[in-house]
Amino acid sequence: MFMSETNIPVQSLKTLIITMISAVLLAFFVLIAIVGPAEYAIDPTGLGKALGLTVLAQPIEQSQKSVLACPTGNDLLDWQDIVMITIPAASELEYKFYLDQQAEMAYAWASDGAQLYFDFHGEPVGNKTGYFKSYQETTASKAEGVLVAPFTGTHGWYWKNESSKPATVTLKTKGQYRVKGLI
Amino acid sequence: MYSIKKLSFNSLILLVLTCLLMPVAFAHGVDANTKQFLLANQDVAIGPFLYIGAKHMVTGYDHLLFLLGVIFFLFRTRDIVRYVSLFTLGHSLTLFLGVLGDVAINAYLIDAIIGLSVVYKGFDNLGGFQRVFGVQPNTQVAVLIFGLFHGLGLATKLQDFALPQQDLWKNLLAFNVGVELGQIFALLFILLVLNIWRRFDSYYSFAVITNTLLMSGGLILFGYQMAGFILAV
Repeated sequence: MFMSETNIPVQSLKTLIITMISAVLLAFFVLIAIVGPAEYAIDPTGLGKALGLTVLAQPIEQSQKSVLACPTGNDLLDWQDIVMITIPAASELEYKFYLDQQAEMAYAWASDGAQLYFDFHGEPVGNKTGYFKSYQETTASKAEGVLVAPFTGTHGWYWKNESSKPATVTLKTKGQYRVKGLI
Repeated sequence: MYSIKKLSFNSLILLVLTCLLMPVAFAHGVDANTKQFLLANQDVAIGPFLYIGAKHMVTGYDHLLFLLGVIFFLFRTRDIVRYVSLFTLGHSLTLFLGVLGDVAINAYLIDAIIGLSVVYKGFDNLGGFQRVFGVQPNTQVAVLIFGLFHGLGLATKLQDFALPQQDLWKNLLAFNVGVELGQIFALLFILLVLNIWRRFDSYYSFAVITNTLLMSGGLILFGYQMAGFILAV
């Protein structure tokens, strides 16, 4: 039991020192340049950003914290719901409402920064085929109008921020709907 | 014995390779679907828990790196079975005691220790303890002790989900059996590759590099988990 059956070749002290220094340096480099940026958005060398790794660390936290109900001033009288949605750089998200057939929803949204590619669309309730109907699909920094739901189901926006900076969309709505929120 | 020049050249190649592979490998937790299942599940679910256990092991690079280190210089099937059994005994023990006894240790800290177990094994495989300290710590005892820590890691991850208390041991047993099945499955692949590689001289001349990388991988896991611990506190 206390004899070791393994035949481990014992390296020289010089080799051991070299291997340990190499192991530490390699680990340090990978941690600082790759793991730090990708996992925690800690990027002292800037290499993570250059490799585009820092985006990995951001989306989850940001998209969860991005919705801030923030009604102000007169807008509150004119609208039912006002929401600010931050779309991180180079990412996409969806914000949806549930409407019955023929229900109306007035809306107006505007981005504070870059133009956004968006698809305003609806999906019939209970449909599993992935079918959806587009109402408006273009690139713009704002849009407004009134939607009369052609069918019962979820209706809302897909936004894609292709710029390198986060964009905040202020979305105002009014009508007969139920907020489903971020998808 | 390696000359410095040769060593550093090979290190460089492997360094580049490792860096390319690293980003893929860093996300070992429980994935979203599994999480959803575990949070919703209130019953005895043998099949799912078997699968989750097996998947956790097959995709668990920290456990696999350690196992790779353990079997690196084991050539006889008998030895491999004995060492892997000791590892299994260790992690099964703490998995059960940890979950049933509600022992909760910070997941980051336990994973950091698991990282250190990989460093230990890499250093051991270089004959580091014999060279530096003049003694060889008992390798079987070491694998058992580190097995205990790996089991605590498994227990900690399972405890994050409020598992139903009724018939808890059934789900736990299924998870544990799954872990062992996953371990055997992964081991077969590792052994297949190692046995092919062992036919070539490069296995022995690369032993230093491989175990250096093992140490480095362990240090990366350690740093990754410690950073998580510090940032989460």
